[in-house]
Amino acid sequence: MSNRWGLWLIGPFLLGFTLLAGSQFMFLKASFFADLGFGKVSTTLDFSNYVRIVTDRYFLRTLWLTTWISAIVASVCIVVGFPIAHVLARLRSRWTTVMLSAIVLTSFVTIVIQIFGLIIIFRADGPVNRVLLATGIIGQPFSLVGSVGGVVVGLVYSAFGFAVMLMYSVARTIPVSLDEAAAIHGASRLRIFRRIILPLSLPGLIVGFLTVFNLCMGAFTSAALLGGGRILTLPVLIQRTMLLDVKYGMAGALAAVLLVSVVALNLLSVAILKRFRAARKVVS
Amino acid sequence: MTSGHVVTHAAPGRRPLPSRLSRLMGRYPLRRAVTVAYFALVFVLLLAPLLVVTGGSFSAPASENVTMSYVQFPPERLTLKWYREIPATQYHALALSFGLGLTVALVSCVVGVPAALGLVRGRFPGKALVGAILRAPLQIPHVVIGIAFLQLYHAVADVTGSHLQGTLFGLFLGHLFLATPFVIGSVGAVLQRFNPRLEEAAFILGASRWRTLRRVTLPVLMPGIFSGGLYAFVVSFTDVPVALFLAASGRATFPVELFYSMEQDFNPSALASATLVTFFALILLIVTQRIVGVDQLLKSGAG
Repeated sequence: MSNRWGLWLIGPFLLGFTLLAGSQFMFLKASFFADLGFGKVSTTLDFSNYVRIVTDRYFLRTLWLTTWISAIVASVCIVVGFPIAHVLARLRSRWTTVMLSAIVLTSFVTIVIQIFGLIIIFRADGPVNRVLLATGIIGQPFSLVGSVGGVVVGLVYSAFGFAVMLMYSVARTIPVSLDEAAAIHGASRLRIFRRIILPLSLPGLIVGFLTVFNLCMGAFTSAALLGGGRILTLPVLIQRTMLLDVKYGMAGALAAVLLVSVVALNLLSVAILKRFRAARKVVS
Repeated sequence: MTSGHVVTHAAPGRRPLPSRLSRLMGRYPLRRAVTVAYFALVFVLLLAPLLVVTGGSFSAPASENVTMSYVQFPPERLTLKWYREIPATQYHALALSFGLGLTVALVSCVVGVPAALGLVRGRFPGKALVGAILRAPLQIPHVVIGIAFLQLYHAVADVTGSHLQGTLFGLFLGHLFLATPFVIGSVGAVLQRFNPRLEEAAFILGASRWRTLRRVTLPVLMPGIFSGGLYAFVVSFTDVPVALFLAASGRATFPVELFYSMEQDFNPSALASATLVTFFALILLIVTQRIVGVDQLLKSGAG
């Protein structure tokens, strides 16, 4: 068919480009102007907001906190989710659809509702705390809201379904015939896992880790609800700076830092995926 | 990691006919039991919050002075009290979220389907860049999208005097920006597997270009359009951060309304409306399974 298909893009491109360029330009521009308070920004262009971010211990601590919380959550999602994704990809049973649907259901329901449930489960006289107190594992009831542990739990719930879906689609591309061939040649289960499944899944796992890590770096809702105003991750801090402190410049600078780090990580995972696909062609 | 589906090299027929239990447990009963236990644990943990919310919404209060700590789970006595007490604001928020989600789904399909056709089939310089720009919203954290659109609307108001912040149209534009890449992605995935001979056949048999598009191309693309539209709806229906910045305080979407009610001392009727949403999601999922299958959703979504 002819080149005329390209013409279909004009409308969507104009709309998408206007919204993207307009919105991104405005907040990036604002980030180069110092705040004067009450939502007013200075008229002289400078880097004072960025200088504050890299010199102020408060902002550096927030960045560090967000980074390591995201790393923990991504590791938990990958380690717990990989066996699930792998078995689901291989399983031929009517339960496969049911289990996949359960995972999809959690992403169809807003995370706010799930956090709601988590808070009830973990409240001071709730089932978890009663068991933990009765067995003497903890002396004080564990509070989900306002603790780092709570934010981690909340983020795991918000990212787990996505992580499993991502790894499932990668696991589907690994042919069963490879395990079968190795089994016929006498490889043990452990050996098949170590020498075939793990190497073939590894790029998918790395990309999955980076994607979930990125998702957590930008995750607002669960971090805001479970941080309870005490544990502030970067997205929560951005929202508070913008809506509570009305500091457009500072909020813009923080958002720019978040945006740049997320996009850089995404480019890295795209590069890994490309190498992975190139290697896969040789295998099959 | 154990699926029990390895081809064994033992000659068939050497084993006696398996009983029901041993067939369920396969050749490796211990491995199978560990796998089943692991799955059960993860899925119970995964679904526990939704089950608690649903159960709590039917639970009768232990005393008249009701606060959150009186919500019983598992419920001792069942009641529909909380459903009757869902405040009007919650219904308004639900209706708003629903209407907004449908509009976003519809318009993102109108924008996304031509975009996917152009991106997959068009041949012109700079195509990769155009594709990257159209997919860019997927890369941007939602908080950043929220603050970026709010600042854009402030700037528009400064220049033209027309306010978009706090209006439904402003919120719609923000959600459209979030949702369109999902339609482009899932329609594009179907298009890439599309056999062009179908269209050539229609063309040879005398169908016009327009007729070919309408009678051959679009029907084949339907599963992609459906799952893309569904993603668009879900993205809009579940979003908090963007709506938090763009919606007016009195007219928030359902998740934002729930978000605010959780930051204050809240009423268990929020559990009831949350349960309504959970059931709605369940119905949506069943309908999806009937129409395109959950697998189609995963194929186009994560890929």
